[in-house]
Amino acid sequence: MSETYRKRGQTVRFEHGRLIQIAEAGEAVEAGELFTAAPIVAQALEPIDETAVLATARAIESLIAPPVAIERLVVLQGVAEHDCDGIVWREELRRIHLSLQCGSLRALIDLGEFEIDSIATIARSLARAGATREAPKRVRLAQNVSAALLPSLINMIPIDQTAAPHDGKGQPVREQRLVKEPWPNWYRPTYRLRPVRMPFHLRAVPTVDTINDDVPRAVALLAPVDRRSVKVLCIDGEEVYPTVLTVDRVSAVAADAKWYPYAAGSFGAEMLL
Amino acid sequence: MSEFRIATRDELWSRGVLFERRLSHGMAEDRGAEIVASNAPERSLVDACDALMESMRPVVARFTDARVRAVATVREIASHVIAEATMTVAMRGLSIVTTPQDALEDVAMLRALAAQAPAVDRPLLPIVWLNGSAAVLLHEAAGHAAEHDAAPVDWPSWLSVEDDPPFDVDDAGAPAERRDLLRQRPSCLRRASFRDVPLPRMTRVVARQHDAPFELPDARIEVHLAAGGAYEPLSDEVTVDVAVAYVVEGARSSRLQPFTYRASRAAVARSLAGAEGDAIRYPGVVCSREGQELVVGSHAPLILTR
Repeated sequence: MSETYRKRGQTVRFEHGRLIQIAEAGEAVEAGELFTAAPIVAQALEPIDETAVLATARAIESLIAPPVAIERLVVLQGVAEHDCDGIVWREELRRIHLSLQCGSLRALIDLGEFEIDSIATIARSLARAGATREAPKRVRLAQNVSAALLPSLINMIPIDQTAAPHDGKGQPVREQRLVKEPWPNWYRPTYRLRPVRMPFHLRAVPTVDTINDDVPRAVALLAPVDRRSVKVLCIDGEEVYPTVLTVDRVSAVAADAKWYPYAAGSFGAEMLL
Repeated sequence: MSEFRIATRDELWSRGVLFERRLSHGMAEDRGAEIVASNAPERSLVDACDALMESMRPVVARFTDARVRAVATVREIASHVIAEATMTVAMRGLSIVTTPQDALEDVAMLRALAAQAPAVDRPLLPIVWLNGSAAVLLHEAAGHAAEHDAAPVDWPSWLSVEDDPPFDVDDAGAPAERRDLLRQRPSCLRRASFRDVPLPRMTRVVARQHDAPFELPDARIEVHLAAGGAYEPLSDEVTVDVAVAYVVEGARSSRLQPFTYRASRAAVARSLAGAEGDAIRYPGVVCSREGQELVVGSHAPLILTR
């Protein structure tokens, strides 16, 4: 049995102060155990206007002031047309990948849209950060923090896969509770990689409308999530400090959620630990 | 304005069976603040790549007890054509990065190392970095720190660590120049593909000793193979994941469990207690930075750290 996938795409990316325009098309074939991938000749998609990418990059740069500095900034906009054995679909995406540094701290920010308000909040907090402290007994996770944690919380709290029109093989992503592997859908970030089964657009089942508890708030990741442990920047009243949280219990999940580009997508909602 | 053209073919073989085969080609025009890239066909480079891969397959076919990723890359910059053939060979959790020319010797070493199971935990003893493995330590402590323009530390006067490019021009078309990594950034801008921004990266790290002191400790750890390493610019910390090492006490020798060597860069420099002999080729480092994976040559003499 053989499966053929084709993709053509255009991206505009701001990275290291330069603008990179890329036009590309390729084909992947899975025939039995063998996976092959190669570029193909195809009509290029329409070029992407770089205005929004450049404006967003410049806006982020203007937000950051000493003692905080930009360690790495990638702003990306892309469009792709996919064809998997005759199922054709199109997607557009926007991404911001930013790491901010202040002293020995690094805040990691990954966004699925060009909305930069949260970056300003994190940068201001990072500038005020003191010494590392013990994790507080109770803590409220911001949406960007819980989104990164969600893949590690499957089977610890109820998490659903959210419906979407297509997975990496063109099949519909159906809404369902995520319990155990094998996951029903396939993730294919590029035609050059063999697709892998992965849960899509994770969403923790909400338990409350909003979380109003007056407890310390984890506003940013200071390192990638390591299973259920994560180093975060915590705001506690007037104080800001790094701490390491180990998530062994979630007390509440808020209803309002925002999509983030972690794994095959993750809806971050405020969580109370 | 400069043009960068590249073709890459890679194949993944597991125990003699082909599982993955990829071709990639394209070009990038550097226009100052802008790079315009596409996967435009590069027939002559693809043909050269195919010939290179064809020459690697008989070597790959000999390793039916391993997982082998063979990569053939041909780049063209400013009329210079640069061809590279590398093979990553893995068995029983250990891996090396080698070339078709060195593969038989390197895989024989890998087989021998993989044949023995780890037994004991790491004791606190001086470390003797064998087989050029000190190049991994210095790749992290000197090379990556130089890429980040880190503050100088006090290296031993007997040590030199150079980036010695094995090609004439870098991936931005500038002359590739030798650099003293203990004091200078690498000169070369490199990129993994036509999609990537060229960054200052190491090409071939060569550490040498000049009249270094050396006395082999009776009780010591001997490092044979590293699994990886890292340099954290914010904390100035260096880590090396040691995959194969032995504790040696007189005539007795026991295989150690894999362990992580971790120290600040200044502590690494202070720990360099001696060295002996010429630089030895270490079987490879695939260096990843900002998602761009590049092979970096690695050579170092036998080095002692305390």
